[in-house]
Amino acid sequence: MGSFSMAETGALALQGIRVLDFTWIHAGPSATRILSDQGAQIIKVESNQALAVVGGPSSNTARGLGQRHNWNAGKRSISLNMKTDAGKNLARRLVAVSDVVAENFSGRVMPSWGLDYEGVRKIKPDIIMLSMSGFGRSGPWKDRVSYGQTLQAWSGFTNLTGFPDTRPSGPASAYSDAVGGMTGAQAVLLALIQRANTGLGQWIDVSQMEAMSTLLGPLALELSANKSNKTGVQRTGNRLSHGGGAPHGAYRCQGNDRWIAITVFTDEEWVSFVNAIGSPAWASEDRFATVDSREEHADDLDTLVESWTLNQSAEAAMQLLQTAGVAAGVVLTGEDMANNDPQLRERGTFQQVPDAAGVPRTIERAAYKLSRTPGSVTRGAPEFGADQDFVLSGILGLSDEELAEAAIAGAFD
Amino acid sequence: MDLSGDLGVYCGKLLADVGADVIKIEHPGGDAMRRTGPFVADAAPMENSLHWRHYNTNKRSITLNIETSAGTDLLGKLAATADVVLESFQPGYLSAKGLGYDHLSEANTGLVYASLTPFGQTGPYRDYKASDLVGFAMGGYMYVTGWPDTSPNKLWGLQAYQTTSNRAFIGILIALFHRLATGEGQYVDVSMQEAVATTTEHVNTTYNYTGESAIRCGFRHGGQFIATWQCKDGYVSITTNTAKAWDDLRAWMERDGMAGDLMDEQYNDRFILRGEHGAHIEELVEAWTLTHTRAEITEWGQANHHPWGPVTTADELLGMEQHWERGFYLVPPGEEELVYPGSPYKMSENGWRLNSLAPGIGQHNHQIFCEELGLSAEDLQALISDGVV
Repeated sequence: MGSFSMAETGALALQGIRVLDFTWIHAGPSATRILSDQGAQIIKVESNQALAVVGGPSSNTARGLGQRHNWNAGKRSISLNMKTDAGKNLARRLVAVSDVVAENFSGRVMPSWGLDYEGVRKIKPDIIMLSMSGFGRSGPWKDRVSYGQTLQAWSGFTNLTGFPDTRPSGPASAYSDAVGGMTGAQAVLLALIQRANTGLGQWIDVSQMEAMSTLLGPLALELSANKSNKTGVQRTGNRLSHGGGAPHGAYRCQGNDRWIAITVFTDEEWVSFVNAIGSPAWASEDRFATVDSREEHADDLDTLVESWTLNQSAEAAMQLLQTAGVAAGVVLTGEDMANNDPQLRERGTFQQVPDAAGVPRTIERAAYKLSRTPGSVTRGAPEFGADQDFVLSGILGLSDEELAEAAIAGAFD
Repeated sequence: MDLSGDLGVYCGKLLADVGADVIKIEHPGGDAMRRTGPFVADAAPMENSLHWRHYNTNKRSITLNIETSAGTDLLGKLAATADVVLESFQPGYLSAKGLGYDHLSEANTGLVYASLTPFGQTGPYRDYKASDLVGFAMGGYMYVTGWPDTSPNKLWGLQAYQTTSNRAFIGILIALFHRLATGEGQYVDVSMQEAVATTTEHVNTTYNYTGESAIRCGFRHGGQFIATWQCKDGYVSITTNTAKAWDDLRAWMERDGMAGDLMDEQYNDRFILRGEHGAHIEELVEAWTLTHTRAEITEWGQANHHPWGPVTTADELLGMEQHWERGFYLVPPGEEELVYPGSPYKMSENGWRLNSLAPGIGQHNHQIFCEELGLSAEDLQALISDGVV
């Protein structure tokens, strides 16, 4: 896909780090995918007894398949039946040779296997354990369950996302899972740095709710500072609640559901914008003369700006405005991103890796390009339980006899 | 050294909050963010921005005019002592001043230098400008957010900027870990467009694996089994992620005499909201949710292990007991009126701490220029007179 090919020969920053990965659905696997890209060996522990979990509950759909490939590229998969002593025993032996254990089950699961932090640190004193959950592993809400949208609703994002005159739409996709993934990976990297400095492992308790609440930015400060504000904080559509400028929105262009985002903050940008669109008469009206008056008349201004964009292609309008120094961008669709956007293509944002059958599968790449340790993904997502030999014979050194015993004891059922 | 603007200021906070000594370089007179509301009433202009206070906790501040040669010299001296440089100028801007990665890493080979820009350092759009909104649009998240009959919509707040900072923080931590093992620094090139594009969950996989672009679905969230319904006292989020959750929902509606024909076998598929019966089902479900409160639906769903929850309004946020119980909300000494959000992660051996509040303009000029860089008080006074500091 991309011509910007990630160096396959560079050093891998996390080479030699092994992660025993019990995570499922989105947030957990996307956290460990970040580590995998940098050379950490991720052993995904799956189970015949659970859902076909890796891509989430819809992994039997094309979209679910895509998510499995995207979030699990480069990992290894083994199948263990954790309801059996033999399965649990093998998991404990894997903990002993791992640097990180990651999980995002509900709070009772890991303790029931003896694999909560107290359990795993007895096996490996300097282990780093990442526990991710909706609300954290303490406090009155610790046993509540959530999906991405539950957390978006509960944290306040859903009610604030949308237009003032429509009901809340909320984020269209599971932003809180992506945020949980980033947060979990950050915490593991911090813990690895800490371990390199001190020799100590630790337990990481990520509440995805807290991770989302941090991204409300200064809202908690605002609410506490302005308790007397009776109108409260409301949805603002495509405008900013503070320091917005105008125009600041998405405007319809030629074609079917084509849009451009345009933002003008300063007087200088306004002059550039007006010149670029051919100085229509309305643009010289007094009510649009200053930042404050443009904001005051933003609704009218939006209508007038759209009267111009309606006759433009979104791509041509972006180019025209950007050439004039105005921040403008096409509202890209999934198809645009995959096929049409020259910047993403040049940057190599997407990559193809072979799956187990050699079929090329498209995955996303890291949004940070590191000059010395760019990372590398050479394998697609593993088939369920595909790496039984690699892990149990190769890493744990189990003999054929031991493997047969474990199988008889139900470890792989 | 945090030279960044809106794109990177949160990345600087993430570093500072886990103990890095982050020096915010402000233009003399103060950073532009100090003019961004909301404002607190009882403080002077330029010191009253809550936006500034939130994003600059635990940082120190110096002022420096890097448009002057004395300013660039001083910045070069500071950079020689830095572990990380964080900047969000247009590509090439700092290099033209002799302050690019190639210049600064020559003497300071362990330097990690992160550049956060709208589109990255390479490619045809590298010089394009972008705001949070434009980044959100070009990252493909905006097209799918909102209603089928409205314009595409952004998420509330500055999520494109913060996602860029979140991604950059990961890149910097990887680079710092590599440096611990090898002593080598490196350059980190972060694009807001890519940061957003890789945070969209279903947008890329939907197109790449079905050939169809994901569309705006309003309250139905990706058109799946997840929706936000109006109820007695607001809105409630109901996710029927399992067959049991859908069956429990139907059964509860039936107990209330409001299931209509939903108990029919043809509605057994929990994904049915997506199909031709969507409008009919939605009408029945919402007629029922309107007879209950958020708390009733939430408690009953949670009691049966279903991920259902209230749509919290802004004025309810400070009342969330979980955030107080876990110490997520913080009220620092000296700012008794203000509630700060806390750490995104709890770590047993690793402190996230609110050690100091956001600095005043140039609060640490004397400390850093004189006590740490070794300038005399007279030198500093001359720099101030010349408008360099």
